[in-house]
Amino acid sequence: MWTGRTIIHVDMDCFYAAIEVREHPHLRGLPVAVGGRSSRRGVLTTANYEARKFGCRSAMPTFKALRLCPQLTVLPVRFELYRCESQRIREIFEGFTGLIEPLSLDEAYLDVSHLRSGGASVAAEIRARIFEETRLTASAGIGPNKFLAKVASDLNKPNGQFEIVPDEVDSFMTALPISKIWGVGKRTAERLQALGARTCGDLQRWGITTLTREFGKFGVELYHLCRGRDDRLVTPDRERKSVSNERTFAEDLEELGEALEKLDVILEELAVDLQLRHGGRRIAKSFVKLKFSDFQTTTAECAARALEPGAYAALLEEAWARRGRRTVRLIGAGVRFVPMGAPEQLEFPV
Amino acid sequence: MKFKITKEKFIEGLQQVQHVVSTRTTLPILSNVLIRAKGGMVELTTTDLDVGVRGAVSADVDEDGITTLPARKLASIVKELPTSEILIEVNGNNIAAIKSGPSFFKILGLSRDEFPELPDFSGAQEIVLDQKLVKDGLKKTFYAISTDETRYVLNGVNWSFAGGKLTLVATDGRRLAMVDQDVEIPDLPTRDVIVPTKAINELQRLLTDAGQVRIRIGESQIAFELNGYLLTSKLIDGTFPNFRQVIPGAPRHRVTMDRSLLLETVKRVSLLTSDRTSSIKLVFTEDNIEIMANAPEVGEARESLPVSYKGEKMSIAFNPEFLMAPLRNLDSDEVHLDLIDEGSPGVLRINEPFLYVIMPMRVTGP
Repeated sequence: MWTGRTIIHVDMDCFYAAIEVREHPHLRGLPVAVGGRSSRRGVLTTANYEARKFGCRSAMPTFKALRLCPQLTVLPVRFELYRCESQRIREIFEGFTGLIEPLSLDEAYLDVSHLRSGGASVAAEIRARIFEETRLTASAGIGPNKFLAKVASDLNKPNGQFEIVPDEVDSFMTALPISKIWGVGKRTAERLQALGARTCGDLQRWGITTLTREFGKFGVELYHLCRGRDDRLVTPDRERKSVSNERTFAEDLEELGEALEKLDVILEELAVDLQLRHGGRRIAKSFVKLKFSDFQTTTAECAARALEPGAYAALLEEAWARRGRRTVRLIGAGVRFVPMGAPEQLEFPV
Repeated sequence: MKFKITKEKFIEGLQQVQHVVSTRTTLPILSNVLIRAKGGMVELTTTDLDVGVRGAVSADVDEDGITTLPARKLASIVKELPTSEILIEVNGNNIAAIKSGPSFFKILGLSRDEFPELPDFSGAQEIVLDQKLVKDGLKKTFYAISTDETRYVLNGVNWSFAGGKLTLVATDGRRLAMVDQDVEIPDLPTRDVIVPTKAINELQRLLTDAGQVRIRIGESQIAFELNGYLLTSKLIDGTFPNFRQVIPGAPRHRVTMDRSLLLETVKRVSLLTSDRTSSIKLVFTEDNIEIMANAPEVGEARESLPVSYKGEKMSIAFNPEFLMAPLRNLDSDEVHLDLIDEGSPGVLRINEPFLYVIMPMRVTGP
């Protein structure tokens, strides 16, 4: 009898775009994306499958997407609505298991090891419930660990599912291209291929020493992942460690004065977000992040107990001084929280 | 300028003034020490514009003069010189030649014209105190100074000279250390002054157990004269919070403990705290305190201390560092800990004019 774990990775299909199409029925069947407007430096957040046929992808600059697909409808992002839908889906998950680890608004791991009906039928039921409630489709992957579940959810997308049963892990892994391993990006894949490994099966022939020599710590991970091994647990409600608000500008900033003005607006929004959604949390640190014209980022931070505009201005100046000749394309400001449940040092009541 | 000086004398003088020199300064002259040779003495002055120190050491002065030289560089050279006798000669372009036995150094200085003057204290109020009393008082309070720059009035020690007492107080809003000593000073209409951290550190370096310190209080500056040194500092511009208000009323419980035993116990137990849970818990039961700590995913520590305690069972949590700081800086054998309840400030006292108020930590969750 199988006594291991059964993990489901649920991944909503083009979540934001799908919600918008549901809200705008006349767009059904047409290429639709959600993202920033093209005149500015906007990028696509999500594109539906019709738009993807034209080569439109998330994170692609909007103007580029419109060049590929002039009839593309680009709708503004409505996070509040997506958050609300995400919460409805989360409630469906809760009907099946308490072990839910959301990765973002549209993705989550579920540990359903305790359910007897088997991973595949649980996943099918969850997807059917989601569609019934929200008219949105989801894909799912079922496997004995998080890694395999995540790989599997990609295999029958959209509106499909795939199960990797423990007995099939070895044969499945042998054929799996190395690029499917998480953490293996374009560069690592190229390096692995140059070293003669195209599939996980190729990689399995390498010893752990060789892998660590080539890839350092990540080599150890590769050693296990290419065999389909992953023992990380599904951790429910992983605690939010920080909150930030950032802004990319239509034109790079060159003057500190201008940056300080932008910072004010960013801080106001951050303050609202903190108040509305993180009211109970204690603040440990403040930070300011800048992204320069060469896409390098830098962060300045300091200990803090509240949102002090003066402290943020000083952090901005500190980070600003690191820009050299570069201009600044993005400013972010945020707070790091004191971990929940950490003891609180009381202050004199003066 | 030309003088002969012993290595020991020169090092001693440079060491007392060089700490004021800031490593990062936008004004190059502030990296330098002002050297004035005159009448058998070499006078050394440094400043960072907020805090300044001046001292003099004896030397054979062949030719009077004045210049400025890079303080840290000079100190590091003098420390390494091969013989005890040092000959220094500075020309009109502020270039110094340093000779000691076979070694020779040439150092480029800057004109004294750019060097900022130390503030003037004519007409300032004057108070003379025993150095030992001030030294002792600062040792018992300085560690509670706030390092949070946004609460700048707390970035120093508050000095109050009212009612025939010298009251020194430092606080960071979470703990407060106070020494309240009777002193013989004329009953002048003196105000409270807040002396910033850097000046407190320098003063502690200069204070000894004997002799007196002459304090002069100006409009926005303070000067301390002691053992041939002059220390001047800007005062913090602001009003120190009403510290008497945070001293709790009558305690419900008093426990008396051996100071060094308590310090060692807290030190040991706090090895098992983490950043996340930097608190230790003191659990009081009849004639016993159990001090404990735990660090998630690491482990836990506990240790019992026999005490005389007759009250009901009670527990209170503190930041261990806040509890250890006064224990390290006191020298009495015994300390008394006065408590009301787990949410109220505790007070650490000794049989001398000192008290330390410490806010507890609120522990939620498991």
